[in-house]
Amino acid sequence: MSHAAIELEHVGFTYPTGARALEGVSLRVEEGSTLAVVGPNGGGKSTLLKILLGVMGGYEGSVRLFGMSPEAARRAGVVGYVPQRSEAELSFPVSGRGAVEMGATSRLGGLRRVPGDVRAHVESCLRLVGAESFAERPVGQLSGGQWQRVLIARALAARPRILALDEPLVGIDAPGQRLFAELLASLRRDLRLTIVLVTHDLRTVAGAAPSCDQVACLRRTLHFHAAPGGVTPQVLAQVFQHDLADVFGDVHVDAHRAAECGHDHGGGGGGGGAGGGVVPLRVRPGGGV
Amino acid sequence: MRTIEYLSGPDALLFVPAIAAGVAIALVCGVLSVFVVLRRLAFIGHGVSHAAFGGVGLAAALGLTGMAASSAAGYLAVVGAFCIAAALVIAYVSAKAKLREDTVIGVALVASLAMGALLLHQRARSGGGGVVSLEGSLFGSMLAVGWTDALAAWAAAVLVLAVLWVVRRPLVFWTFDEPAAAAFGVDTMRMRLLLMGLLGVSIVVAMKLAGVVLATALLILPGATALRLSASLGRVIAVSALASVLGVLGGLVLSFELDWPTGPSVVVALIALMIGAMVARRLSGGAGPARGTGGAVGAGS
Repeated sequence: MSHAAIELEHVGFTYPTGARALEGVSLRVEEGSTLAVVGPNGGGKSTLLKILLGVMGGYEGSVRLFGMSPEAARRAGVVGYVPQRSEAELSFPVSGRGAVEMGATSRLGGLRRVPGDVRAHVESCLRLVGAESFAERPVGQLSGGQWQRVLIARALAARPRILALDEPLVGIDAPGQRLFAELLASLRRDLRLTIVLVTHDLRTVAGAAPSCDQVACLRRTLHFHAAPGGVTPQVLAQVFQHDLADVFGDVHVDAHRAAECGHDHGGGGGGGGAGGGVVPLRVRPGGGV
Repeated sequence: MRTIEYLSGPDALLFVPAIAAGVAIALVCGVLSVFVVLRRLAFIGHGVSHAAFGGVGLAAALGLTGMAASSAAGYLAVVGAFCIAAALVIAYVSAKAKLREDTVIGVALVASLAMGALLLHQRARSGGGGVVSLEGSLFGSMLAVGWTDALAAWAAAVLVLAVLWVVRRPLVFWTFDEPAAAAFGVDTMRMRLLLMGLLGVSIVVAMKLAGVVLATALLILPGATALRLSASLGRVIAVSALASVLGVLGGLVLSFELDWPTGPSVVVALIALMIGAMVARRLSGGAGPARGTGGAVGAGS
């Protein structure tokens, strides 16, 4: 039996302070699909991402990545992580290429030389994301868009099966956002990667819409299963507590029942019942589904 | 020059262990200092070096402050165990406990200083002798360094540099981007404990020469100097080690010439080098670190 790329069943998490971050979250993401997880700040997105990355234990429920626990998946290098720009030490004396090499070599023993195929793989990752021209620049001198490409190349250098991106468009200008959407689409098409994109910014979802085929709206728990008539921009506006017309413009958002997508999302059984889960959406610029 | 007079005089052999130990200490602290500065561990290093003072007091209370080889070895063992234990406790508690990191370090620092001062005071009151005085412990003394200390310094240098070479790839990744390194499978707690343990070892062997208060200077100033001169991690490490050796040897010369305590003399020399690096950077156009290929250290070798 083949495993889903990501499978969560009734996942909950409570911080030591007593704050409940996740409640009954269930979702299933098939290999090769792209999931955008959106929600307000403090809605549990970062917690969910840390659980998927295998760096946060102590959760309730079941989490499997290609049938493995997140911790085992982390050790096996299943998930490639693209963090926010702010998390790295950008005064570090290293070039873009050096940063990408870290992704490829962090698991190599100290006594081994870097094999030729690993070097070639680093080059191909730089080429894939279009970073060859600025690969020799110190990371502190890269623009937001260039640094993001380096981070994606670093994640790819570890040969992951899932690519997880945390707030990927923070600090990226409009042309950079368009390039990002194209890159995301090509990664999915060429490498058959499963992509998880986590953001609080609906503009990111709107920008990446052509390459996203699922959107999970997270605010501690599944927010939209009980929404009569499915997920609409109005419901999203209620969650984010502001008008979304300026975000989506002519982007048409339409909700589909889980059953209609042929996915078993667990929790609510796809029928809009109670419990955790994900509401898959089709988001396509220009209207239509 | 008094330096030449000292080193060519009948007591020259008294200073050779200090010079030999100084070079080893400078090498290892110079390399570690790059990671301390980049990982922003300066205050932790300060806390660990001060925590060693509790070990000094304990060694004094046990009568291990003489120049005999057995006494010097016992001193190093007691101070080393105390210092490394303190480093690991500070690293673990600051990473895991709900207390703020600076609070943990501050508590360990003052508690250990107080314990060391009280034990040294008791030892002096009971008429105990030895070459480790309060001032010597705090600010360093060349004459307190014997051959056992020099051998220990070189053994520590070889050990620390070998460990750093073996773990360089995950260590560099952790230093650069801890959250990402964790997600890529790097055991970040192990890296933290390892680096703190290595800092503890280095501080122990640096203490007699540089003193508890100023040993931290060797773990901050060389790295801070080198980071102003290069944008390649490999070159930064090499420059830092070189600056550290020049600073220690320059400090020893100052100590000979001006009859200053060793620790402050080394700090003066290291600060002079750092100012020189800043001026050189400004004169070269002030365009920041030198451009370089900047490959991750060891990643391409």
